[in-house]
Amino acid sequence: MMAKKKDEIEYVKNGKRVDGRKVDELRPLKIEVGVIDRADGSAYVEWGQNKVLAAVYGPREALPKHIQNPYKALVNCQYRMATFSVPDRKNPRPGRREIEISKVCSEALAKSIFIERFPNTKIDVFVQILDSNAGTRVAGLIAASVALADAGIPMRDLVAATGVGKAGGEIILDLNKEEEDAPDAVDIPLAILPGTEEIVLLQMDGLLTKEEWKKSIELGIKGCKQVYEVQKEALRKKYGEAEKETAKAREPSAKETKPKKEEKVN
Amino acid sequence: MSEKKIVIPGDLVTEERKKLGSHVFVENGKVFSDSLGLFYPGKDIASVVPLHGKYIPRRGDLIVGIVVSQTYSGYIVDINSIYSSYISKELTRDRLKRGAVISAKVTDVNEVNEADLDDVRVFYGGEVLSVTPVKIPRMIGKNGSMLNALKDGTGCSLLIGRNGWVWVKDGNVPLLVKAIDLIEREAHLNNLTNKVGDFLNKNKGEK
Amino acid sequence: MDDVIWDLRVDSAVKLIKEGKRIDGRALDEYRKIDIQNHISETAEGSAIVNLGKTRIVAGTKMILGTPYPDSQDQGTISVGAELFPIASPSFEFGPPKAAAIELSRVIDRGIRESKSIDFKDLCITEGEQVWIVFVDLYTMNDDGNFFDAGSIAALSAMLETKIPKVEDGKIVKKEYSGKLKLSKKPLLCTFAKIANKIVIDPTLVEEKAQDARFSVSTADDKHLCAFQKGEQGSFTRSEIDECIEIAFKRGKEIRKTL
Repeated sequence: MMAKKKDEIEYVKNGKRVDGRKVDELRPLKIEVGVIDRADGSAYVEWGQNKVLAAVYGPREALPKHIQNPYKALVNCQYRMATFSVPDRKNPRPGRREIEISKVCSEALAKSIFIERFPNTKIDVFVQILDSNAGTRVAGLIAASVALADAGIPMRDLVAATGVGKAGGEIILDLNKEEEDAPDAVDIPLAILPGTEEIVLLQMDGLLTKEEWKKSIELGIKGCKQVYEVQKEALRKKYGEAEKETAKAREPSAKETKPKKEEKVN
Repeated sequence: MSEKKIVIPGDLVTEERKKLGSHVFVENGKVFSDSLGLFYPGKDIASVVPLHGKYIPRRGDLIVGIVVSQTYSGYIVDINSIYSSYISKELTRDRLKRGAVISAKVTDVNEVNEADLDDVRVFYGGEVLSVTPVKIPRMIGKNGSMLNALKDGTGCSLLIGRNGWVWVKDGNVPLLVKAIDLIEREAHLNNLTNKVGDFLNKNKGEK
Repeated sequence: MDDVIWDLRVDSAVKLIKEGKRIDGRALDEYRKIDIQNHISETAEGSAIVNLGKTRIVAGTKMILGTPYPDSQDQGTISVGAELFPIASPSFEFGPPKAAAIELSRVIDRGIRESKSIDFKDLCITEGEQVWIVFVDLYTMNDDGNFFDAGSIAALSAMLETKIPKVEDGKIVKKEYSGKLKLSKKPLLCTFAKIANKIVIDPTLVEEKAQDARFSVSTADDKHLCAFQKGEQGSFTRSEIDECIEIAFKRGKEIRKTL
């Protein structure tokens, strides 16, 4: 498997990366909305090799009562990796990494939601990683945000996210596992509210100069906005397609009927 | 029906000064949607009709509830919302058991979205179907047009709760379930009442 | 919720910060007094107690013999752990670590690990067979906010004085040492709170309760960043992040000199 030593790999050669992408190119991203019938909202994301399911339940009463906040809803995002989603079988018990990721993702999502409208409640967001290849937390986060919108939970904006960082001395978007394993690798998971560019999740590890950071955040925000377009498209598509189908199926008799005013609430 | 647009949370609804309706918020003088829903640009009110969402009780709503348990002085009723509600035993002469179906009117809602109920009616027999709460207005239709189409087409006795629960008895329930499915899928489209009417006519014979 | 009194304290802290002031009179970009005592434990390979204002935390290191990971046969490793010890606050409970304690541990760990200040190859005794594992454990002693930075300083101080035990026939010889743990850099964490749209460094407990968002920057030396962690439900703008980075380099440099 390891044909070359890591420090001999050219991570960017003639403007192309190890998997053929350009430095500012995301891996193929696909989002499907409403994939879990029982959930209030759900989404499935495929991002490169990463495969992620997210489901939203709530707002529902926060129990036990002492965890309730009379001013706002609790946002409880639980990020979990399937045992088979990593090369060696993962212990099914949530590890420290998963607990930390769950915490920062909960906090990032909370900023996007009008939590103050639902006192004493909680909104559960379950994120399950089915297959992984670097960048699972940001994949989980975008799936979660789409699932929240699908659940009809009032939000300021979607949360858009991507990884950005460094490998082989180059600043690149959306690192894959091979790039993340580079000797000088820097990984920066980043999530923003695209409308205002407010940063709601930001982590980093690896050595980076100030100049490299400036390049990274520039590229990262551009990447988030590309992801945002895919998220919006996925949400619109769910309803847009139904619209197309009916347009096709509409019978001539139906066409003649006079357009009606919007039907009123009872 | 006027032009409509699918909007998602954070989408700009309008930059014009309009009266604010539901599911919108203002930032820097512009109006944004807070939900995945439909916006009608032609209307003089900036409002979004969500496509999904939990039932949040509002004063005046007629809801269908199910008795969960009994206390000394009343009943705890599941109303398909964040919280269950409570009805006093004084509101009904019937002795209600767990599983009893009732309808009631929401008379008040407090700051944590808990509902007070009144005008309790008890239903015997039948079953309770679930519909996405935000789609209930479509199930009733303008002046009850859809509700009438459903009743005529299926022969069912129906009571539609604003909370997404529908009590139904007698008639062709499997056909009703199919019609509700159609409404769920196409609630955001035009001409729904006619379509459902056609659908019911076509399938009337089926059981 | 239980302690309504904190709500009142938070209100007055926020009011002051809006005017650019802090309850304890510090400037927004000023640390509390940092007091470090080394060598507080005879048994530990290295130790330190750090007082950051009233916040107090203890760090101790132990060097343990272990076997290398299959994918890095010639490397040892480090492990930093922190516990929110109930001795430090009425709101900490005994029991398995909660998310806050895990985050604290992992952020301090990353700050040190990612600075590459320890060459893990230096921790190799016999390739493929025996390596050192450096355990750095932190115990909170009194909570007045910002265990992140206090913990980072304590961990670094303890590591800087860590002695490497002597090994004979694959076993540790007690109370004899073969040298000191080598650190090529002094990584330091700087933590900021965003309160009423202002950025303050080294938040006290009241300021932590008042914060909308938190941001920690770890600098490996005067030129390199090595870890970030954004926490809590608020957000930061890009320019606020850049402001934090500038201050973190400046304050990091000052603290580094004293260690």
